[in-house]
Order: sequence, then structure tokens, then C-alpha cells
Amino acid sequence: MRKVLFGCVWALVLAFAAPVLAHHSPAAFDRTREVTLVGTVKEFRWQNPHTWIEVHVPDAKGNVVLWGVELTSPTYLIRAGWKSNTIKPGDKVTVVVNPVRTGEPAGIFRKLILADGRELTERPARLGTPDSK
Amino acid sequence: MSSSMSRMAVATVMAFSLLASACSPGPASEQAAAPAAAPAAQTSGGESSGTPLSALAPENIAKARPPAPFDVTGNWFIDVSRNPEAWRFGPPYPTLTAAAKVHFDASQKAAKEGKVYRDDIGQCWPAGLPLIMTRYWPMAMVQIPTAIYMISGFMNSVRIVYLDGRSHTDPDIIVRTFNGESIGRWEGDTLVVDTVGFRGDHHWMDQGGASIPAGEQLRIVERIRMVNGQLEIEYTMTDPEYWEGEWKSTKRFNRVVDEDIQEVSCLPDLNEHLQSTSSKTQVR
Repeated sequence: MRKVLFGCVWALVLAFAAPVLAHHSPAAFDRTREVTLVGTVKEFRWQNPHTWIEVHVPDAKGNVVLWGVELTSPTYLIRAGWKSNTIKPGDKVTVVVNPVRTGEPAGIFRKLILADGRELTERPARLGTPDSK
Repeated sequence: MSSSMSRMAVATVMAFSLLASACSPGPASEQAAAPAAAPAAQTSGGESSGTPLSALAPENIAKARPPAPFDVTGNWFIDVSRNPEAWRFGPPYPTLTAAAKVHFDASQKAAKEGKVYRDDIGQCWPAGLPLIMTRYWPMAMVQIPTAIYMISGFMNSVRIVYLDGRSHTDPDIIVRTFNGESIGRWEGDTLVVDTVGFRGDHHWMDQGGASIPAGEQLRIVERIRMVNGQLEIEYTMTDPEYWEGEWKSTKRFNRVVDEDIQEVSCLPDLNEHLQSTSSKTQVR
């Protein structure tokens, strides 16, 4: 029980201590919440300093909402197995994000699930250590 | 702004190539063995007959100098292995002046509301010193006898530390910048770098809930050493406009051998597609 409690506390610490992988402050995102988006890719941009995914997501009322998802730079994504053509417009995807705190349709990337079931994440950005190779 | 930044990136890459081919950043003994081609008219401060010599002028590079104790040439990345927040320079923070406390308190209030106060870096303003040193992108450094050229993997921000004995530019004519004007000198096994001439607008000492401005009176002294293969930089920062006394922080950087920096620009279409940078979370 104590180990479980410690694990939960440590997970929270890591969540709040998420490093600045973005060019902007990470404070806008609620790292304690995850939103799962199931929709269709509108755009996947492979560029520095960030890649981004725009995805059309039907909401509960039948409206299609455009969500913006930001990811780290290609440098890190390549290390996690991504390529510039990993997804393309029209692909059906599931994307898990930490949303912005205001409820607007935007979030920072956590996980991608492709139509064939493959999952992709971002590799922790810690260059200059054996972990980076 | 984007086109000028792209030109800067291209120029930077070209400068790197020239440096790599023309200037040996190798052992100090090689520097000392460089041909004594300096004209007799040269002075000790990187000048020739009163005309300042560029740090890249061959006759400046070739001047006889004491051996450099170490060479920082390489790619460096902030060591966050023990603390993922090590990129920040506080807490602890120094005692703030009333002028700074206005911003600090506003950023704390915004953070409690799940918002972000004046995140200028997120709006594509340069991070500037000191934050540019600890972004989550590597910093490429090339050392030659007269200077260290630093290019951040973040927005390709360029910083030059002059080692040729020059003095700081007259404050009446200096062009203020976000990375300032850096002059270095060797003290034993330590490189001491003094940086002044900063811009005092859209320039911050921290990011994300602890907004402390950097003003035109900002002075940063870095004591740089090579410790067990790591680059250690001890920062002493003063700015009487915004805090009392000295703000100290020590950072360590790991060498990156399997990654090069790339061309990175904050282009107009970046934030157009990152809703978080224009959402209601942003407080100006």
C-alpha cells in the first residue's frame, strides 16, 4: 500500500515537473487531465521548433471541432520512432492530450494511436545522457 | 522578422563552416604555435593602429596568447538528470524591488488561475540571457583563440563571447540585445565572462509563473569551468532595477555527441497553429 501511495505521489511530482519541451510556458496545460480525441487528421506539420497535429473531432452534439495538438521537435520524435509521413491528412487517429485549462480545443501531446493499433509517444527529451542514444 | 531570422541562420551556418575549416579550435599549444604574423602596429586589445580587429580577422586569431585552459567546442545540453526544473534560475529568488514584484505577483496570480502571464518567449521574442542557455535544445559552441561562438538549437539564437582583450562598447553607442555583449578573460582554470548591454523589454529571468523582468542594468558574470567532462557555469546576476544584491545560480551542462542543432525559427505560422499561445490562458 505504501509503495502504491509513493508511486502515485511520484507520478504527480513528475507530472507537475514536466520540462519545457515547448517554446512557450507549459503552465497553460493541465498536466493532471487527459482528453482522448478520436477523429480525422486535418494537418500534420513536421517542423522546428514544434510539430503539430490538427484533428477534426466530432463532439457529443454532432458538431465537428478542430483540435490543435502540439508536439515536441522532430529531433525528439525521430528518436521515438516517428517519421514525417507517420500520419497524413484524412487518417483516422486517436490522440491523447493534456488540454489547456480554459476548455478551449487545444492540448499538448501525450500519445497517438494509429488506425492499425500502433502507439507512438514522445521520447523524454534528455540529451547528453546515455538515455539519449 | 522571420526572413531576417532565416538569413541569420544561414549566415550562422556559413560562419560555422568557415570557422571549422579556417580556425583550429584545438589544443592551446597549437594556438601558441600559430604564425606570428601580427603586424607591429597591433595593440594588445584586438586593435590594429587604432582600428578594431574582428574576432575573425586572421591577424587577430594569429596573435600570440597564453594557452587556453580548456576548449568548449561541442554541443551542450542542460543537465536535468537530477531535477527536470534545472533549466530555471530560481527559486530561490532574490528580494525583488517593487517594480519587479508587480510582475511577479501578477504571474503568480495568473498561475493560480491556470493562466500564463506575459509569456514573451512563447510569442516569439528571443529568450535572451540567461534563459537561452538552458532551453531544452542543445547549444552549439565553437571556440577559437579570439572568441566563442554559441548558437542555440532554440531559434538559432547567436551569442558571441569575445576573448581577444577588447573592452565593452561605449554604453552611448552599444546596440542593446537580448543576449547582451559578452567579454571573457581567463583566470587560472576558469573563464570569467562579463555580459552587459541587455534589452530591457520583453526580456525575462524566468518563464511560467515567476515573471521577473530583465532590465537594461542587468549584468551577468559567468564563471565557467570544465568539471569531470561537464561544463559548469556559476552565474552571478545583478539588476538593481528589479532585485537586491546578487542572484546566484550554478548550472551544469552535458556534452551531446549524437545530435547537431538544426535550423529553427519562430515563424508566423507556428503560433497560428498552436492555439495555446493565443488562448484565454494568455495574460498580457
